[in-house]
Amino acid sequence: MIGNGVVDKMRAMAKQIVMDATGDTRHEFDPADTHAVAEAFARFEALTREGFTAAVRTGSGTSELIRNFDPAANETLFFPRLRGG
Amino acid sequence: MRIAGVDLSLWVVLTTLAVLTCALVLGHLSEVGYRRAAEKRGLVLLKQWLSPAQLAQYENHGYFELTGGESGKRYRIRPTHQMNVDELNERGVRTVSYCFGPEGELPIGDVMLAQKIALENDEQAALALANRGNPHQSPPRFG
Repeated sequence: MIGNGVVDKMRAMAKQIVMDATGDTRHEFDPADTHAVAEAFARFEALTREGFTAAVRTGSGTSELIRNFDPAANETLFFPRLRGG
Repeated sequence: MRIAGVDLSLWVVLTTLAVLTCALVLGHLSEVGYRRAAEKRGLVLLKQWLSPAQLAQYENHGYFELTGGESGKRYRIRPTHQMNVDELNERGVRTVSYCFGPEGELPIGDVMLAQKIALENDEQAALALANRGNPHQSPPRFG
């Protein structure tokens, strides 16, 4: 049986979703855990430096591009650099 | 040495060929399964990020439309890997097709989602990268 505290914690987990050949790879972290947030920040920096674009969901079907790590974002999506086809 | 009237060396060759064929078939099936799982995962992600109207359109027609974040123009994104972004006029007729997308071998759902986010949030930058195509060269077929 899962207690309420655990459920709350599961609900509060933030997600970084990185598009790749498998579809995507997901990294979950607890925004209240400073070590996990530091790791998420480092991942954000590394991916954006590599050319990935980061976007956060702002509503149903709407999103916003972000240039800086947002520890409060529930879900951050990273997609590779765009190019002409 | 002979087994059942067949030379041992021939048995070795035939067995080796059988093993190699099995390995190739299994490898191919594994690759197909891997790609299928990736495509499915990409579509799940896409659907999670579509608006209810876009999702309904995608479920019914296999494409969805959106409004460019800067110009207010309408675009249609189709599930193909090339020239799959159409600019539509006020009558919903395709006037230009664009080809752009994220680098790498991504499932089509990921490609469509990246295109949607780019057009809704950074339209001019996305179109500046895109190749333009003649909309009359390859009419899309739906349904």
